[in-house]
Amino acid sequence: MSFLSLLVNEPGRSVLMTGNEAVARGAIEAGIGYASSYPGSPTAEILGNLGRLAGDYHFYAEWSVNEKVALEGAAAASFAGLRSICIMKPNGVNVALDSLASISQSGIKAGLVLVVGDDPAGHSSTNEEDSRYLEKLAHMPILEPSTPREAKEMTLAAFELSEKIKLPVALRCVTRVCHASGNVTVGEIAGVNRKPAIGKNERFITVKFLHALQEAKLNQVRRMADAWPFNRYAGPENAKTLVITAGASFMYAREAVKELGLEGEVGILKLGISWPLPEKTLLGRLKTAEKAVFIEEVEPFIEENVMHLAAQHMMDLYPLQFYGQKSGHVAGPSGPGIGEMNPEIVAMALAAVCGVNYSPPPGCDESVKKLVPKVPQRDLAFCAGCPHRASFWAVKSALALDGRDGVVLGDIGCYTMGVGRTGFNLLQTVHAMGSGVGMACGLGKLADYGFNQPVVAMVGDSTFYHAAIPALVNARYNKSSFLLVVLDNETTAMTGHQPHPGMGKNAMGEEVVRMPVESVAEGLGIPVSVHDPYDVEGTTELVFHLLQSEGTKVLVLRRACALIAAKGTKKPRVYVDQELCIGDSCGCNRFCNQTFSCTANIWDVKNNKAVIDEVVCNRCQVCVSLCPRGAIKVEGGEQIG
Amino acid sequence: MSRKKGSLDLKQEVMDSGACANCGLCAGLCPYIKAAGERVALVHPCGLEEGNCYRLCPRTSTDWEQMDKRVFGRERVDHVLGNHREIVFARSLQMDAAEKGQYGGVVSALAAFLLEQGRVSGAVLAGGPAGEAPRAVVATNRDEVLACAGSRYSASPTLSAVHRAVKEGINSLAVVGRPCQVLALRKMQGLEDGPGYPPAVDKVEFVIGLFCFWSLETGIYDLLNRKAGGQRILKVDIPQDFLTITTASGSANIPVDEVRPLIRPACRLCFDPTSEFADVSVGSTEYDPRWNTLIVRSAKGKEIVDAARARGIIETRAYPEERLPLLYQAVRNKKLRVLQALESGQGAGYLQLTGQYREALQRERGMNQ
Ligand SMILES: Cc1cc2nc3c(=O)[nH]c(=O)nc-3n(C[C@H](O)[C@H](O)[C@H](O)COP(=O)(O)OP(=O)(O)OC[C@H]3O[C@@H](n4cnc5c(N)ncnc54)[C@H](O)[C@@H]3O)c2cc1C
Ligand code: SF4
Repeated sequence: MSFLSLLVNEPGRSVLMTGNEAVARGAIEAGIGYASSYPGSPTAEILGNLGRLAGDYHFYAEWSVNEKVALEGAAAASFAGLRSICIMKPNGVNVALDSLASISQSGIKAGLVLVVGDDPAGHSSTNEEDSRYLEKLAHMPILEPSTPREAKEMTLAAFELSEKIKLPVALRCVTRVCHASGNVTVGEIAGVNRKPAIGKNERFITVKFLHALQEAKLNQVRRMADAWPFNRYAGPENAKTLVITAGASFMYAREAVKELGLEGEVGILKLGISWPLPEKTLLGRLKTAEKAVFIEEVEPFIEENVMHLAAQHMMDLYPLQFYGQKSGHVAGPSGPGIGEMNPEIVAMALAAVCGVNYSPPPGCDESVKKLVPKVPQRDLAFCAGCPHRASFWAVKSALALDGRDGVVLGDIGCYTMGVGRTGFNLLQTVHAMGSGVGMACGLGKLADYGFNQPVVAMVGDSTFYHAAIPALVNARYNKSSFLLVVLDNETTAMTGHQPHPGMGKNAMGEEVVRMPVESVAEGLGIPVSVHDPYDVEGTTELVFHLLQSEGTKVLVLRRACALIAAKGTKKPRVYVDQELCIGDSCGCNRFCNQTFSCTANIWDVKNNKAVIDEVVCNRCQVCVSLCPRGAIKVEGGEQIG
Repeated sequence: MSRKKGSLDLKQEVMDSGACANCGLCAGLCPYIKAAGERVALVHPCGLEEGNCYRLCPRTSTDWEQMDKRVFGRERVDHVLGNHREIVFARSLQMDAAEKGQYGGVVSALAAFLLEQGRVSGAVLAGGPAGEAPRAVVATNRDEVLACAGSRYSASPTLSAVHRAVKEGINSLAVVGRPCQVLALRKMQGLEDGPGYPPAVDKVEFVIGLFCFWSLETGIYDLLNRKAGGQRILKVDIPQDFLTITTASGSANIPVDEVRPLIRPACRLCFDPTSEFADVSVGSTEYDPRWNTLIVRSAKGKEIVDAARARGIIETRAYPEERLPLLYQAVRNKKLRVLQALESGQGAGYLQLTGQYREALQRERGMNQ
């Protein structure tokens, strides 16, 4: 269905959508005037879609340079009376938290909804973070949809709630809601007549005495929470065992109860709002229960808050027992509070709590066992032809040549994989967006204390704009000595090729002014070079020479992401001339296949020679320059170099 | 040798220990060893236990007598200067080489001659401005050879260009190199066919060796440029106790003692100041800067020198009787100094010298006194 489903204008019709599409649809139905985001999985598609529709529905959408700016823009639009949506991943909430905490204190005007896509198990994240703790800290109500349908409806409701109480509201989704597809009943897309303005006497100011008002607003939500239409209870009245859950975990809980045949015994209370808690509803159910079981992702957020609530009502609830992450009953293979939930984990927990037998269905396990040896071992790897592979090899070579044990600081993006074999295990630190550059600032000041290793920070182009610039200003200001290598593949590759300020295009597809990395660095007065990483030898030489001098330096290694480049003009064929490849007699120990390890450089076991997987090959021709025998050849098309 | 040795041993015994002569021949032999600036490094373990990188390195175990036998087909008689057929003064008769050359321009003249005769299709040289660390150049014509004339007194790993040239399709090469580089080339030519056999082995047609008593660390170029006061350096020479820098506005002298700290430690372990395994070796005369000392060593060396003389490319004259002992003394002293250092355990025992060779060196006064 995808994109087009968002355009259906037949209220009442049921349309198949992903959770991300449902949120976008909800935002449009809510009549948003402003949408902003920095791309992050699992929610990157929301703004991607909104950007494409902004023109049609007459609202503004942008890929912001980072989440803090994104939130500030959205808040401003809210101050001016426009409903605004801001989308990010939990790491983004970390970035935006300073503003978030203040905006929630100053209060807002039109509805402001913060959509956060948590990524339990970190499928496409460096860390798995439960953003609810931050949203609670920022005094925000937290809403948790379980399905795409709810995602759309909750988005609409979130705007109303936000407007009513004048607080930003968090819509907390998880990957399995964002990426799942389900039927969504579409509503009306109202034509809106917007006149944004800020009244002469309106003030949005963060001052400490507003804290009390902020708490009062939350109390107001607390009273409303029991009536929140997305809370649901399923199961017998007065169930002795009560499952308390929210979000995608509700689906797992429902399945597990059914699987165990406990529908008649176990009650499931699904919270549509996980902060503030619907206290009356909870206490009512807990009073009759003997056992409360918490099923949620990732950390025991609801569990802790409910136990806290229960402690205040201890006498009424006695002899209630709690089971969850804290008790160790609800735990995935890596332990409580780590990784995703699934029906099996929930069933195991419930079986233990209820004293029934359960063994996971053997069928799937057996077939998996049979399959495992047949599945080839695969490392996380850069795509075939990825310029990062060439960049990492060149930087690694230059550092070895330099011979002073240069330290390489990593960052967040596809190139984070440089910690592994595909990047020759080069990266020695990986933290948050831009933090490698800040850390380089620190290491680059230690020479006076005997630190004599050269320092290299590696950062992607999108990350450069996101968070590296302040660190770079700091470096120049404080005379820190390091080399910043910007891996510029001319896109935000990791999250699906969203545009950034270096590209000359914005979220709505408009042509905008390009701000290349080198211009930014030059503007800061930092010496900058630009080179093509596909020229491995030249890049090695250049990095080596840059390492020989003091001061802050920037090197832009520019080459389009191979996945984008592959779509372009007719590319030449790259192949191994097996007459020239001498296999294991070469002495290179299968360099192309084993060491450089581009996924297209495979081994022809029959002939015991190298061969190129031409289906996978993106025609970058880097291996052509690296093969010591010159056995890799290029035929036709436009040749590189 | 007991255990098979490979790149990790090379790294440990030679590169990391400071014994590396920076010849550059291991760089580019495979994709794992590279050169940049004036450094050579193993950039990634290749995963193989043994390798030709280790075998061809001039700073891994080298049996001097075996080298003589393999390169010249006989043991040496002269234990100071090695095998030779002729020791003469020589200079280029072609004005361009005579003018641009460090001394008599014999090296440039011969390299250009080999190219022009079609004996080789490329010459591996050290090129670039006089005030900078040189880079490896593969010259394919006279102009390119002349552009490389002049000595740069640092140990540039120019031999990496040998593999590059062969990969680019040049199938017959002249190589100009320092003694360590000559030794590396000859060790490469002695490799047995097998895994990792370098395609360059049979592509090196002619080896012109330089005299070299030591070379300097890359830091020398900073010093030179400072002394030149920002002027472009045209030429650097070490006539005797001074290092002389020539610029457009004149020349400046730096006492040798001032550059001594920049001597590469590895050079203090080098047993061969005259490129003993080259086809011809060329040095200064320490006497007349318009001439070179030329040692003709191999039959091929003789053939080329004869041809060059016959065609009026170079001229030679007898080595002045009274100068010869000075040459012998200088070389012999250097060798004895190195032997002493090696015997004290430095250099990881790269030099395998038979008792006979050793005694002969200590005994032999030859023509030198
Ligand atoms: C580091 C070094 C130390 C030397 N020490 C001595 C010495 O102590 N006593 C002595 O008699 N002679 C020494 N020489 C040799 C001398 O400087 C001349 O190179 C030699 O006499 C040839 O003179 P030419 O006029 O024929 O040279 P040219 O015709 O000018 O040719 C010189 C050639 O040397 C090559 N070359 C220049 N620098 C290097 C380098 N760093 N590595 C490899 N090749 C290079 C160039 O490619 C050029 O082809 C040394 C040379 C070098 C490079
Ligand atoms: S001396 Fe030459 S072969 Fe040996 S390690 Fe150094 S560069 Fe390589």
